[in-house]
Amino acid sequence: MVVRPHVVLPLALALLPAFAPAADPAFETFQREIQPVLEKYCFDCHGAGVDKGGVKLDAFQSGADLHDATFWLRALKNVRAGLMPPADEERLPPAEAAKLQAWIKQGAFGLDPAKPDPGRVTVRRLNRVEYRNTVRDLTGVDYDTQKEFPADDTGQGFDTIADVLTISPLLLEKYLDAAQSIVAQYVPLHARVVAEHLIPGRAFATAQPAAPAPTSPRRGGGGSGDGDSLDLSYYTPAIATAKHTAPHAGKYQLVLELRALERYVEDQFDQNKARLTFRVDGEHVFAQEFMREGSRKLEFTFDREWTAGEHTLQIEVTPLTPDRPQIRNLRFRLAGLTVRGPLAPEHWVSAKDYTRVFPRAVPADSAGQRAYRRELLETFAARAFRRPPEPETLDGLVRLAETVSAQTKNTFETGIAQALAAVLASPTFLFREERTEPLRAGQTHPLLDESTLATRLSYFFWSTMPDEELTRLARAGQLRAKLPAQLKRLLADGRSREFVRNFTGQWLQARDIVNVPITALDVYLRDHPSPDYEDARATFRRLGGRSGRANRSEADNLALTKARSVFAEFNRQPKPELTGELRRAMLEETELTFGYLLKEDRSVLELLESDYTFLNEDLAKHYGIPGVTGRNLRKVTLPPDSPRGGVLTQGTILAVTSNPTRTSPVKRGVFVLDTLLGTPAPPPPPNIPSLEDAAPAEQLRKMNLRETLALHAREPLCASCHNRMDPLGLALENFNAMGAWRDADLGQPISPAGKLITGETFRDIRELKHLLATARRSDFYYALSEKLLTYALGRGLDCYDVPEVDRLVAGLEASGGRLGGLLQDIVNSVPFQQRRQLPAIASATPPAKVPTTE
Amino acid sequence: MNPLAPASLAAMNRRHFLRGLGACIALPTFGSLWPRGALAAPAGAPLAVTASGAPLRTAFVIFPNGAIPSRWWPEGAGDAFTLNATLAPIEPLRGKVQVLGGLDHANARGGADGAGDHARGNGVFLTGVRINKSATDVRAGTSIDQIIAKEVGHLTRFPSLELTCDVNRQSSGCDSGYSCAYQYNISWKSATTPMSPENNPRLVFERLFGAGAPGERAANAQARLAARRSVLDFVREDATRLQRRLGRQDQDKLDQYLTGIRDVESRIQKAEQFGPPADPDRPTPTGIPTNHGEYIDLMYDMMLLAFKTDSTRVATFVLGHDGDNRSFGQIGIAEGHHDLSHHQNNEERVDKVAQIDRWYVERFAAFLRRLDATEDIDGQSLLHNSRIVYGSGNADGNRHSHDNLPILLAGAGGGALTTGRFVQHGGKPLSNLFLNLADQAGVKGLERFGDSTGRLAHV
Repeated sequence: MVVRPHVVLPLALALLPAFAPAADPAFETFQREIQPVLEKYCFDCHGAGVDKGGVKLDAFQSGADLHDATFWLRALKNVRAGLMPPADEERLPPAEAAKLQAWIKQGAFGLDPAKPDPGRVTVRRLNRVEYRNTVRDLTGVDYDTQKEFPADDTGQGFDTIADVLTISPLLLEKYLDAAQSIVAQYVPLHARVVAEHLIPGRAFATAQPAAPAPTSPRRGGGGSGDGDSLDLSYYTPAIATAKHTAPHAGKYQLVLELRALERYVEDQFDQNKARLTFRVDGEHVFAQEFMREGSRKLEFTFDREWTAGEHTLQIEVTPLTPDRPQIRNLRFRLAGLTVRGPLAPEHWVSAKDYTRVFPRAVPADSAGQRAYRRELLETFAARAFRRPPEPETLDGLVRLAETVSAQTKNTFETGIAQALAAVLASPTFLFREERTEPLRAGQTHPLLDESTLATRLSYFFWSTMPDEELTRLARAGQLRAKLPAQLKRLLADGRSREFVRNFTGQWLQARDIVNVPITALDVYLRDHPSPDYEDARATFRRLGGRSGRANRSEADNLALTKARSVFAEFNRQPKPELTGELRRAMLEETELTFGYLLKEDRSVLELLESDYTFLNEDLAKHYGIPGVTGRNLRKVTLPPDSPRGGVLTQGTILAVTSNPTRTSPVKRGVFVLDTLLGTPAPPPPPNIPSLEDAAPAEQLRKMNLRETLALHAREPLCASCHNRMDPLGLALENFNAMGAWRDADLGQPISPAGKLITGETFRDIRELKHLLATARRSDFYYALSEKLLTYALGRGLDCYDVPEVDRLVAGLEASGGRLGGLLQDIVNSVPFQQRRQLPAIASATPPAKVPTTE
Repeated sequence: MNPLAPASLAAMNRRHFLRGLGACIALPTFGSLWPRGALAAPAGAPLAVTASGAPLRTAFVIFPNGAIPSRWWPEGAGDAFTLNATLAPIEPLRGKVQVLGGLDHANARGGADGAGDHARGNGVFLTGVRINKSATDVRAGTSIDQIIAKEVGHLTRFPSLELTCDVNRQSSGCDSGYSCAYQYNISWKSATTPMSPENNPRLVFERLFGAGAPGERAANAQARLAARRSVLDFVREDATRLQRRLGRQDQDKLDQYLTGIRDVESRIQKAEQFGPPADPDRPTPTGIPTNHGEYIDLMYDMMLLAFKTDSTRVATFVLGHDGDNRSFGQIGIAEGHHDLSHHQNNEERVDKVAQIDRWYVERFAAFLRRLDATEDIDGQSLLHNSRIVYGSGNADGNRHSHDNLPILLAGAGGGALTTGRFVQHGGKPLSNLFLNLADQAGVKGLERFGDSTGRLAHV
């Protein structure tokens, strides 16, 4: 491992208090070196009886008072980001600031640069995403953990945090059931099985029936569908035909699989019915009437005696209710028809994928079986456990497989299946156990062993288990030696998309775009105020509903009629919608932006400011950028005056930081401070005077957002934080809650200009983005480094991580912000490479046998 | 691996049991649902059983963001009270519900912990403790439902049931530095283990009664238990070995795993004891309904079915996490609930929040009506034999207050509770109420819970 030489601190201090408390040299150093700095620059607000923000810097009595890490970490961050002393006070000269920061790290935190601390990590279980990916790589089975497992709890914004990834009894139960269900799909229980042939829905040729079809606005005959399936509308008569050639005469089974789908429409139902008829070689074998079936999966099985040769399969849809309104696009989705047979054993074929699990035929003799069983289980367990199984564990698995196989009706394969299920349900699979190399001379903490390192790497960059190459290198003890090349390979591999998706999805909250509640109509009304529409709405609120009907006057009825016509007219105008497709395009835009930096090893500052973004036709239209056509997103160079470019002006972030009907400058400001700059405003103090105490209700109603927020600035208690948040959020007011550009809010022009708490001013969002990428660059480097390190390690950062984060930021400064360099530095960092030396619970020798707990 | 249902139990049917009770009671309409063997074990014991020998159920339902106090609280007192707009939907059931005023959660107040009232609203609701303000070091307390479940859970197939209608969790940090674990879970098995709730009605149903069509479910449920059992020995041994290899700070994780294993083992034992689960003659829910009202109703139905079949006697239900910003298009409210709840006394916003509060109460009232219409084993209604706490961890969402929380207590607890009243408790911890509920369920030796100061006097 290459560790860069530690930054030499500008201060040679006597560090930890010696064992002679009487002298208290640590405190003397503080008094001599640091107190004068604090006195000069801080005491005006934090000394001599003043304790702004609850911070007092003149109350330390001894060296022991100086070790409140939380307190000093806050001080360190505030000084580092130039937040303290505030912009309107005398600033700390760089040399003094450096001196103070160095003292905090060594004096207050007691860190020894010669003995970096890798920190405390808790054993981490796979989260839902990792479990799914791991199972897919291990078995090829795609198990939908999103649906089957309860959501993972998160901490620090990520679902990779070991401490909060708990196992409730419910989840444990789900693990046991998942293991069985995965194994049922993965392990073929018989070497030879009945032949199966799937005729996908797409393979059916559709035609209108001979009978005259009623006119319908919808596409005739069917045709669309999803993947290999075929959609057949309830509203249109259609016949779908396919042919199948039976290789032998005999008994066959036909399994028809379809779903009855509908498009959900709030509070409106669709009463249409259709009849589905199934014919084989012209013979009518099935007919049934269907109405809405709630997207239920339907499966029908038919037994047929077939001759060898071609057979005709025909599915007919007959609409039964041509006059009823067609509201929910009712349709059958034909997945396909499976032909199973001939059923007679002499025609059975080799089971599909049998050799994937059982590479050879099962030996006939019991000794041969025993050896084969052990071999199969050892291979699978070694992959699942990410290291070879302990002999005891392997023995247990073999015993389990033997016991199950020995039961009546069970086979060799059944036994293996149960043992594999046991592997998937075991804690050694579910938890990532970490082991270390022996401690070598000169090391304070041991290095991770190479299997552990391989596992950390693959879960960091792929959210899944190590692949064959990583495993091979780790087993051979060559992974560390070849780390730079391996890192390149990991990032170039398609699986690194998981890192992009899971990291940006959570760090930037980009994945929330899929479900964030946004009411397009109300967002539109803020940009295009319509007093008529608001009046009509108020009329409906007052008079609508059943209760009012009896008491309505003539005038009321007139008002209602008028309101209805206003609604009708308004609804005719096209208005932008935040459709599912647009939301997905936005998410992809954010992911592609980060993925591009990763692939091309570009500067992370392009996340803040860039002259390009990723668009498809829909999204380009939404953003008002001409010249982009088609559904696929691609890199687009922006017009020179475009406000876009960088994540801050992407639809994802603009929408997830909004309320359903309006933007929220406060939420957006918090997002910039917290996520991009890593300098969150302190949470609101208790007993906040509410806004309504600051101005009369009548006046409040008339104010626009900026004016309402300006009320904050008058109240000193609010001002200190809102002056930090609000200008950032207000600079984004030109983007509505759906991320589209606008010039006015509720008819009032938007003024995006503002000033950062650190003193820099900007006129609009472009200037703000530029400020963030230049003047506040270091804050962003710190924020991103901390987030990435947190995600990678699966733990929150602590004061002992400060020197490591400093090194990451120094690396970014040196490389001009290259993402690849940052990831490399993280992988080489002390906390990623080492583990804290534990008290001797861990031991290389297998533990003594203890009686079972039963 | 023997089949799970011993013949001796299969032979014991409900009529035997009823005769054994010596009671002359009408057969419940859903007679076939009553599981064989239920109630046989606890006959005579006061654990989670009403005076007439029926199961005593306890449920806690939490709604998000508090309620507009001026619309929530009734006029009057005692049994002479007039329901206000928000609670009007419970009018037909007013005789079977208590409105409880003056109950607080002091530990949900900010104090030295400052902001984070939504995280605390949820995290403190059933635990009553001060939750540790940290994004990673999660420490709450055992919740009251789990304390009751620990005592009475052995009587039923499932010690407790945890439900939620939160489907999409927000990314990034949760409320003001609190881990999201506090915001999405109200039930806690221990200070560090939240009971993750299930949000898919299909999965809840299949877990309770088995997968498949009516008639196939019992066999499927048995098969599922048998499959689970086949790997238990191995994974338990594996956990014990791993536990020895790991450090001290990892022991809690392995303990969670082993606790889960023990739960599954006891479930298997109970399956042997009670026979196959009841098979409600209704289709398995297909999944999560798109319409939010239908979704909530369906989840309430799952709770009702679980109670009716005596699959569990303890349940919790999160209608939406505190801080939920869902909009309510179905009642013409486009704004987000949380956004609206900071209404700044704007009349229109107050109205809208009150409409949302009422919408939630309507769903709850509909659930109570179904409980009331369902006959229990003793001829009383399920509602009569239940205690259902309905409330929020915030009182006034606008101000994030946690005093005078909006709390309803529905059901008569088998006659132990005096219903049909509006009772002012005058600033007592909500935890005090939980002590009363625990006592009635037969929990012994629980002197304190959360910040309790004693039992409530008039319940």
